[in-house]
Amino acid sequence: MAANGVLSKERLVSGLRSLSKLRIKASHRSILLISALALILFIAFTIRLLPMRWEIPNGASLLSEFDPYYQFSLTRYMVQNGLFSPYGPTPWVNTQSWYPQGLDMSYSLPSLPMTTAVLYQVASAFGLNLDLMTFSAMMPIFLATLSCLLIFFIGKDIGGKAVGLFAAFLLALSPSFIARTSLGFFDTESIGIFALLLFIYTFLRAIEKTRPIPSMLKYSVVAGGALALFICGWGASYFMIGLALLFVLTLILLKRYSRRLLFSYSLTFGLGIFLATFIPRFSTTYLLTAPVLAVAGVFVLLCLVEVLRVSKSARTRRLVVVVSLAVMLVGFVALWQLGYMQDIAGKFITVLNPLFRSLQPLIESVAEHRITAWGSIYYELGIGILFFLAGLYLVLKNPTNRNVFLLLFGITSLYFAGSMVRLLNILAPAYSLLAAIGILGMLKPFYTLLRTPEVSMKSKRGLKRVGKEYSIIAVLIIFLLLMTTLVFSPQNGGVPRVYGQAYSPITISAGSLPIVPPNEPVREWINMLIWTRDNLQATTIVSSWWDYGYWLTNGGNVTSLADNATINATQIENIGFSFMANETLSLEMLERYDAEYVLVFTTLGISTDSSGQYVAYDAGFGDEGKWMWMARISGNAADRFIEEGLLDEETAWTDESDFGSYNNETGTWEWNEVGMNTTIYKMMSWAKERWTNETGFVYPDRPGIEPEYFKEVFFSGVELDPFYAAENYFGIVPLVSLWEIDWEKYYSDTQIE
Amino acid sequence: MFPRVPDQHKKGKPLIPNGLGVVYVLFATVYLFLMYFLGIVESSNGISAPLTLAVCILFGGFMGLMDDWMDLRWRYKAFLPLVAALPLVYLASEWGLGTSISLPIIGVIEFGQAYYFVIIPLIVMVVTNVINQLGGLNGLETLCPAIILIGLVGLSQSNMILMLGPIIFWLALTVLNVQGKIFVGNTGSFAIGMTIASFAVITNLKSSLLISILPVVFNSSLILLTYFLTRKKAHVTFDGKQLVSDHRRSLVTIVTYHRPLTERQVVAIIALIVLLFTSASVLFYWPGA
Repeated sequence: MAANGVLSKERLVSGLRSLSKLRIKASHRSILLISALALILFIAFTIRLLPMRWEIPNGASLLSEFDPYYQFSLTRYMVQNGLFSPYGPTPWVNTQSWYPQGLDMSYSLPSLPMTTAVLYQVASAFGLNLDLMTFSAMMPIFLATLSCLLIFFIGKDIGGKAVGLFAAFLLALSPSFIARTSLGFFDTESIGIFALLLFIYTFLRAIEKTRPIPSMLKYSVVAGGALALFICGWGASYFMIGLALLFVLTLILLKRYSRRLLFSYSLTFGLGIFLATFIPRFSTTYLLTAPVLAVAGVFVLLCLVEVLRVSKSARTRRLVVVVSLAVMLVGFVALWQLGYMQDIAGKFITVLNPLFRSLQPLIESVAEHRITAWGSIYYELGIGILFFLAGLYLVLKNPTNRNVFLLLFGITSLYFAGSMVRLLNILAPAYSLLAAIGILGMLKPFYTLLRTPEVSMKSKRGLKRVGKEYSIIAVLIIFLLLMTTLVFSPQNGGVPRVYGQAYSPITISAGSLPIVPPNEPVREWINMLIWTRDNLQATTIVSSWWDYGYWLTNGGNVTSLADNATINATQIENIGFSFMANETLSLEMLERYDAEYVLVFTTLGISTDSSGQYVAYDAGFGDEGKWMWMARISGNAADRFIEEGLLDEETAWTDESDFGSYNNETGTWEWNEVGMNTTIYKMMSWAKERWTNETGFVYPDRPGIEPEYFKEVFFSGVELDPFYAAENYFGIVPLVSLWEIDWEKYYSDTQIE
Repeated sequence: MFPRVPDQHKKGKPLIPNGLGVVYVLFATVYLFLMYFLGIVESSNGISAPLTLAVCILFGGFMGLMDDWMDLRWRYKAFLPLVAALPLVYLASEWGLGTSISLPIIGVIEFGQAYYFVIIPLIVMVVTNVINQLGGLNGLETLCPAIILIGLVGLSQSNMILMLGPIIFWLALTVLNVQGKIFVGNTGSFAIGMTIASFAVITNLKSSLLISILPVVFNSSLILLTYFLTRKKAHVTFDGKQLVSDHRRSLVTIVTYHRPLTERQVVAIIALIVLLFTSASVLFYWPGA
């Protein structure tokens, strides 16, 4: 009976009912919101993972482009030797780079490698069995997904949940952001954008008037941490500091100063800059740089406004203003005279005045540093520019503090994105927020109309009434405009821009070719790096154009002379010289660096001539497309080479025009006698000759010249079947040729002991 | 479904559905999307012409819709089409379309890079707005653009497929508009203006467009100049049967200046003038002429 009483039907039902209380209560709106956000984050993650398709045959993921290998080497060093090991007590000098002086890694930015090293160790402690390179390759995807989550919260604060969702969606699908955060792009931008968004979110929250003081302090501290993460993570930190200063100044000018702004500003910037001074790259000298001095200047200004607010006497106010302005003026002049301002002026001028870069061949030779053509911005955003402009208009019409920030963010990031190709990345979050506001702002009147039975309509032909169908059509047109922005991009031949950007292999798995291989990755570069790793020593010195330095050092485990760090312009000029000079002079230069091998990358295309014969020609994606930069950069140092006795006035060159000319009729470069005597020409033409000989039926467009003092060691791709190349490489043949320097023959011929 | 507005030049001012241009926008967009999806017009140099045209028409339609809805101010109407010029500037510069304009008597004017960044946006801005300024009489805002567009298509027969569907559809709307059964509204006039400008840029027929559109440009110039100089607007008096005016501040008022004419007669005369200019341009620029 007792048992029956305990297990009675009523008790069972009531027990089950009480269990239902444990259920999480959520409204349908919340469920929809969370589902939509989860879906957006899922899209953001998976779309960046698409390049994995080409990495599966490798068994692990490699890294994209070149700079990520630098970040990886730093991460690996931290994992192996401790988080702070690159910075002290003995700073780490990587002797495998920039031989002979090496690359001082203690001047690197720590945010990305340190975060990755920490997360990797935590993940390993939880039993995640992933090699470090694959883990590093995944990091940008992880950070980009978090960035999309952060922009949702920023958008939510600015214009509500819908703006947040749209902004997250647009950032998830932003082509330029995907390009820099997809699998393998383990570089500073991924953590930079994350820190930027975290800073914006927390700083704008910290200065909210309605927020209680403890909450303000909490957000200011997090904003300070985010600022430190940004400063120590991305070279574009001056942009963020400058933008925040401009914002605070604008608030002062709009008479929106508050004591909260002063506290929050002081805490955020004080903490951020204080933390940044701990890394050797900045140290305490960072406090004397112009951006930090500007931070101090704005702080003084905020204090001045506060003093003016509390001071009651007009005379005291005047006195405070005059004295403060005088002190600031004298301080500015003194700092200018001491050279602090001029230093930063030089750094900023490359962004503020993009034309300055076009005068510097070393900077201009890097595609991502070039001035953005207006077409790149349209190619990036499509007709979505309309929504961006609408967003700018709407925030201008409603200038709340957040909207003022967004307005400044939009305008400045658009300007800087127009100044440098890689800064399109900074525009991506601003665009996402403003376009989201624009889309919803344009939809709003029609949406309102949909919810109202009938609405008056102003018209030139009279005031009449319109029905719901009218707004349905308007919504449909906006939807179609969005479709042409995100789905059927006319500027990309109808293929979604996002798809074109995301579904492509990482650089080395595409063999450094601008192709999307249909099946297997392009193996020529990978095979070369495996070969050097297996057959050469870590101390073996391999000379190559600087683009391949990181690959050789980190993938091939040999010592290189230069890489994308471009820390020594003279060394790059010398490498350029070693390629553009004749063999004897090249070796005279390479001797200075104890070089043992030289690596040249060349690409070939195949066509048929008038007699139907297959002919191999230069495709232009390897050194055959870069040698003019070698000529220009080394040509810049012509006077030095003359002084050093390597060249004389007659034999010195200034640019590529000394080695041939471009034939407008045939559309090809025609080398002259001097050009055909250069080391680079011989190496490229002989690699081509070797490949054509192997095929047996393809002929070189001009006969190759075999170098005298360089011996073929390993030519990756020389046995590549042209039919396989046609089927899998879109007809492009990549040849990575490694040459051993025949010092014996050289010394014997030049009679040097 | 569509808002009804009074037909000013009919007895009793019957209410006519307005804004049917939106149907043209949707039809043209679907048609051009199909051109792309069915592979009838392939992308060239990485750019799809039908999709570019569709984007421009959609934009024109949206602008017109906003104008119909909230009477956009002239400063917005004048400069908004510049956004729609972006896809065209991109297409023209990527395709390397000719940067010169060849005109009878004057000869060839070479603009260089200014063609892409100044002339194309100007073409889009001017054509869209002058076509939008035609109106007030049944058929005027549909017939004149139709004549200009047919002239352009006649000159670029290889691209005829791009415009075949939209033209037929527009002609159907024209017939209904002339009969006084519908108005296309600002949505229609902006969309057709955008169609003309975009098609002329894509097919590199800007010289021909400049001649065809002269009467319409003249009409707008007259209206604007008179307004800015004298602050007076053009208007015609309707006595229930005929239109007449006592001033010459637009093409319509010139035609009806102290000369009472029916609405259809006025439309026919103006359409004839546009036809004359379009024919002249077709003859002048006919391939091999």
